[in-house]
Order: sequence, then structure tokens, then C-alpha cells
Amino acid sequence: MRSERIKEGPTFEEVFERFEIPLLQYAARITGDRERAKDVVQETFIKFQRNGALDRADEPATWLFTVCRNGALNVCRKERRMMYLDEELIESREREQPMPFERLEEEEAAGFLMRIIGTLPPRQQEVLRLKFQNDLSYRQIADITKTSTNNVGVLIHTALKKLRQRYRETSKDFVPFNPKTI
Amino acid sequence: MNIDDSKLTAFALDELDEPERSAIARVVAESPEAQRFVDEIRELAGAVKNEFAAELEREAPALVSQGKHAFEFARGFRRTGDCRSLIDIRDDPWFWSIARPLAIAAVLALLAVVSGVALFSLRHENVRVAQGEGIGPVPVRSKPADVQAEFQMPVEAAASPAAKAPSSLPLKMAEPAAGKVGSLNYSLAQARAEALDREERFRGIRQPSAEFNTAAYDDIVENRFLDAKDNPLSTFSIDVDTASYSNVRRFINEGSLPPRDAVRVEEMINYFTYDYAQPSDGKPFAVHVDAVSCPWETSHRLVRIGLKGKEIATDKRGPSNLVFLLDVSGSMTPPERLPLVKQAMRLLVEKLTENDRVAIVVYAGASGLALPSTTGDHKEQILEALENLQAGGSTNGAEGIQLAYKIAADNFIKGGVNRVILATDGDFNVGVTNQGDLIRLIEEKAKSGVFLSVLGVGTDNLKDSTMQKLADKGNGNYAYLDSLDEASKVLVQQMNGTLVTIAKDVKIQVEFNPARVASYRLIGYEKRLLRKEDFNNDKVDAGEIGAGHTVTALYEVVPVGAATNPAASVPPVDPLKYSSNERSTSAQSTSSNEMLTVKLRYKKPDGDNSELVERAVTDTAGKFEDGPVDLKFAAAVAEFGMILRDSEYKGNGTFAAVLEWAQEGKGSDANGYRAGFIELVRKAQALSKG
Repeated sequence: MRSERIKEGPTFEEVFERFEIPLLQYAARITGDRERAKDVVQETFIKFQRNGALDRADEPATWLFTVCRNGALNVCRKERRMMYLDEELIESREREQPMPFERLEEEEAAGFLMRIIGTLPPRQQEVLRLKFQNDLSYRQIADITKTSTNNVGVLIHTALKKLRQRYRETSKDFVPFNPKTI
Repeated sequence: MNIDDSKLTAFALDELDEPERSAIARVVAESPEAQRFVDEIRELAGAVKNEFAAELEREAPALVSQGKHAFEFARGFRRTGDCRSLIDIRDDPWFWSIARPLAIAAVLALLAVVSGVALFSLRHENVRVAQGEGIGPVPVRSKPADVQAEFQMPVEAAASPAAKAPSSLPLKMAEPAAGKVGSLNYSLAQARAEALDREERFRGIRQPSAEFNTAAYDDIVENRFLDAKDNPLSTFSIDVDTASYSNVRRFINEGSLPPRDAVRVEEMINYFTYDYAQPSDGKPFAVHVDAVSCPWETSHRLVRIGLKGKEIATDKRGPSNLVFLLDVSGSMTPPERLPLVKQAMRLLVEKLTENDRVAIVVYAGASGLALPSTTGDHKEQILEALENLQAGGSTNGAEGIQLAYKIAADNFIKGGVNRVILATDGDFNVGVTNQGDLIRLIEEKAKSGVFLSVLGVGTDNLKDSTMQKLADKGNGNYAYLDSLDEASKVLVQQMNGTLVTIAKDVKIQVEFNPARVASYRLIGYEKRLLRKEDFNNDKVDAGEIGAGHTVTALYEVVPVGAATNPAASVPPVDPLKYSSNERSTSAQSTSSNEMLTVKLRYKKPDGDNSELVERAVTDTAGKFEDGPVDLKFAAAVAEFGMILRDSEYKGNGTFAAVLEWAQEGKGSDANGYRAGFIELVRKAQALSKG
């Protein structure tokens, strides 16, 4: 029976407890909308139960984030949300203003660093989130976001560099850093 | 190596494999600079990690607030996993309180996995949901009694489940494949559309298009020719919407002919103002009727019914209480959407005085009050609030509508203009926002005496049908803004027409004299048809007319004895066996020369009881060539619309003929709109050849 095979890896409940909130947050950032995120994540877990859990019982993270991302992007596509649709935009554009989602709810609560992160291009924010919120490896992130590990490396490097800069501009405690050849 | 290298960052984050890791490690060991960089990156990474962890903690309550139940539910079902538990769940009111199509889908999908194959049919008796958009789940608010789910377990259930599932599932989740509507979504959408249609008694049954298309146009089944003996009465609601014309214009200017169902002939005709005389008898509007030969079918007659609303000078306009309800969701970002709306609103604000009040409500992921009700002399304050609006997030139209109407009610001016002005691309997609609910919400709010204007913007996902229905049910008008010029026409030049309603629930009933008229066809107004008994029923909602507005309706009439072309012939019906034909023959025996009688009913803007106006018309056999210029122009627009629709009733008309009639009917054309029309016909003509 299929259901017995699930028992070889973590149980559904364990996987659910571990990933529910991170996936919700991840999807909410892509769709810009918590309600949509709930639907996407729910669908992800249903699919996970249906077949994902059977094949990837040992390492569900990559699978879950991939399916969740596809679902979230699909929502964006269907609803013609602007962000995440235009590849060029995602890669390069820095947002002058944080998204309204962030603006509304995070202004007071979020830390200084988080507000800087909110101004990075969406794609960089996404890899940062996968890396530092979900502790995924470059390899896993590359699989999830359908790109190369090198590109993930570049995105994270660029994002951190920008964070350092912004941080430095406003925080005197931070040691300045000037790139040069060694 | 360059210190500004992603490899160094990767090293700092321990992301390198051997031998790369060792190589970089040696470089770092030798360079204090690189060592410092690595330390900094690690420090930064730690800080970022902490921030992300804090964010998760902070967001968690909001993230799981309602969703949890759905998951619990899915999990609970997995544990039990048989059909009986489904029945139990169905009886549980909790389930229905949170049930969404997806949750239902989850049960079905799981059920299918367990049992191999499941067939299902969902019967929604009273489900009010958005029309077939296939955009993921829409919450269904329904009581247990409203929904019945039936499941049948077919014989194949005995076959090995592992071999069959999941590829052979008869129903799939909405698959991520872009542009496709999952079969479950589709069947739900169909059920929704049908439920909605059943309630719309004026309209024929329409199925949602199977093709995925986010710009939603309802099918229009054109009015047929009707036999004047069998159907002597033709009843419809007036319509002052103009959106279809500007939408059609946008298509043509972008180099393509519009989809057929985007063309609503009556809205095209009514886009133009005609020079009808004002009422002189103290009534809110004047009625003009005339008949000429029909230019595209010369043996037929073309009857025009023209209404002219009383003009109200700008300075005579009563005080206004306006609430702008602006969609600031992500889809409103492009320049021709929110930025255009803001420009349009600025134009309007410039015209306001200290007697007017303006509030701004925005809606997106959250709805909110961007400007409390402010008098029109505080222009800077209003303009600043407009300026600060930005697009982003998703749309919860319903909440915004609730809030806007509440503010309109709080600031209600008795005897003044009380109006919500909704500007959106119509993409209502979050919360309780299925189309049926929205329409009911608006209908409910309209009873408070607050009128509605809908300004549509945007192109690829314009929810044309939703917006038309909202305006229709909300005692309002609907205009499509494709340019700042159009915004200026709607909000400045015709400001009073847009804002000041002088009569509401205006209905027209035409009685044809079968002694003179063999058959007739109402051109356009397909979405405005009423039943003949609705005419005298004051509970039945109909269109509004604004100050100075003109409304025009055209009939193509086949006189008795005229040769008919095949399209105009009414298929004969066998004589009735049990009912006598007395009534119709007696009607025929009247010796009246009158061709028809036009009756109108309307209510005062704040009234509940209708008043009746009647006008009998005798055909004086006038020719089109000698007819009024306005009639020629209206005929040109009507024929243009029919050609664009590729209507079977377009007769002998061609683009060239349309141009000719429009030239003859151009008149003084103070605003240049008719010249614009002529230009548009030329473009369409060129497109149709290309």
C-alpha cells in the first residue's frame, strides 16, 4: 500500500509542521497575498500527499519549494501580477519602494536589514529567503528556481553586496569594504 | 582573484565543493583582505538569518490564521480515507463554513487516489461565484443545503489503484500549465456560470468560453426579428454606458479588430451625443421618435427613439458627495491603468467646489481609506492623496466596496449627488469576491440612494462583463477609459451627465401595430431586454439617465407587405389548435395608421414609484437620404457595430457605406468625436482588408 511507504521517511505531519509556515511565507512573497499563498501551499501539500511524499520522502524541501513556487508563479501569471512575470524586471530592477504588502505591515515591526532586503530585486530576495530563511543549499535553490548554482551564487553575492552597501551607508558601526584585486 | 567574486561569498557560506573549497581557502588564508571579507559575509549572513527567522515568527499568526483548518481537514481525511467519512464531513457545519472548492477538490483527489477512479458531479443550487475565469479557488460561501456533492464509485474501482492513479484521475487539480483551466475548475466555473445565468432572467443561456481568456466578454446573442402579431410588445431598459465604443476603439487603434462580443451596438450608438431638443414640459427628459427608410435594407424602416435628459448647468449642480473607490492592486501598475485613473481624477477634482465632498478609498490586499471625506476647496489635500497612491498587491473588491458605500452613506447629502466612482481593471480576485456576490452586494448598496459610476481601464484582462453588471445593478453608468481624452469626456465635459442622475429605472416599451408592421428587430440592447410584464413592475431595476444625456435606440422594422430578405423573415409557426387567434386578429382589424406607440416609465432619482410617458408614432414614409443628420450618424454607428460583429442582420452595409453615412451625419461635431469615428471606420476598413 502506498500509504505505508510514507512511513519510511518523515510522516506527513512532521513534514507539514516543518514546512507549512516557511512555505506560506515564501508563497506570500511571490504572490504578494497571504490568501493566495494559503491556497498555493494547501495545493502543494495535497500534491505532496498524492505523489511527492512517495518519491521524495527523504528530502522533501526541494520538492515542496519547487511545487510551491510553480503554484505561486502560476497565480501571478493568471492574475497578471506584475512582479515575477517579466524576467528582466526580476533580475535587474531594484524597487524604489517596498511592495505595499511590506509597506503596510512591516514598517514598524521589521528590522532595519529586512527593510533593505525589501528593496532588492524580487529574484534576489527570493534566493536570500531560500538560503537564509530555509537554509537550503545553492544546489537546492538552483533546482527550485530553475537556474544554475553559479547563477544562485551570483544572485546571493550581489544581494549581500548591496546589503553591505546600504547597511554601511546608514550604519557607522559596519566596517567599510572596498572591492579590489588581491 | 578578485575579491568581488561570488566564489568568495560561496566560500564564506560554505557552499563550495572540493577541490574549489581548498583552493579558495588557501587564497583566504594568505589575504587578510579576503579574510575580512569572508568574516563580514558570515556576520552579515548571520544577521540576515536572524532577520528572516524573526520575520517568520512575526508573520506566522497571520499566515496560518484561517488556512490551518483546511490543512487539518485534509490531514484528517487522509487518516480515515473512505467514503463514509466524507458523508460525515458533509454533515459537519464546520466543514461548510470553511469549505472552498479546493478543499472539495482535495477530498476528491484523495478519494480518487484511494479508490482508483471516482466520478463526480457537483450540483450547485445557489452558488454565487465568479464566471469561468479559472483563477484558482474562489471561496464559496454556501450553506449545507445549497450544495450537494454526489459521488459514484464505478466498477473500475476494483482495479489496482496504484496502477491507475494518479495519471488516470478523472479530475485534476488546477494544473500549473499556463493558460489551461483544470477540468475541475472548468466544471465548477460552468456550474457557477449556469447558476448565475439562471438568475438573470433577461438573458439567454450563455456558456463560458472554453478558451482561457482573461478578458471576459459575455456572449451576445443578437436580437432576432420578431413577428409583430405574436410579439407586439418590445420592452427594454435604457442604457447610457459607453464603454464598448472606447474599448472597440482601443482594439482598432492597436491594430486588430475587436472580438465580436466586445461590440455592444447600443453602447457604441450611445457613445455619441445627439442634438435632441430638451424637455419643455417639466419632465426630466424629452422623447423623440422618427422613422426613415433603412439604409442597409431599403425596403425596411429604421425607427429611432431618442431621449434627451434635462441639462443642468455646472453651477446649478447640487452639492456632491463623491467617494472614489480605486483599485490599487498589482495589475493596475501600467501607465494606462492607475496612472491614467489618477490623471482622470485630477481633472474631476479641479472642477469641484466647496459644496462638494470627496473621499478616496483604495483596495488591494487590504482596503483602506486614503482620504477621508474632504470638501472640494481643499484641492491640494485631495490631489496629494491621489498622488500618493501606488499600485501593488491583490484585489479585494468587496471590502473596498463596503467601505466606500459606508463613507458615502456617512456623508449622504439629501437631494444632492451621492456617488461612488469605482475605477478598476475589474480583476476582483480575493476574498468573498465571486461575481454573483459582488453584484448582490452592489445591488444591496444601490438601495441606499448612492449611485455608482464604473470606470474601466486596462487591456488584457479587462473584466468587461463584471463591470457592466456592477454598473447595471448599482444604478450606475460604465465608461471605459482608454485615454486621457476619454477621461476628460466622461468626467469633465459630461461631468453632470456622469454624476447627476435625473431619472432612474427608465424603461421603454414599444407596442407595434401589426396592421402596419410585419416584424421588427431591436438593434443592440441585448443585455437590457426586459419581460413585457416588467415594464409596469416598479420593483424591476432598469437604467439611469444623467443630466444632458442622450439615449438612442434603433429598430429595424419590416412594414406589412414589404419584401423580406431571409435574415428578416420570421419562421412561420403552426396555427394554435386550442387557443383561438382572436386577439391578434382583432388587433389587426384596428384601422389605426399608427405604426407604433412608445411608452416610457421612469422614477425620480429618489422616488420609488414610476411615472408613465406615451408617444404614438405614424410613419410618414420619410427617406433616409432626407433624414436628420443625427439619425444618419446613429445608423452609421449601428451598421459599423453590426459589421464588426459580422451580424447576419448587417444587410447590404459595408465599411464604405458606413463612411458615407457618417460623413453625411457628421453635423457640426463640436468635440470632434464624429470625426474620430470616421477615422476609426477607415482603420477598421484597412484592417479588414489586411
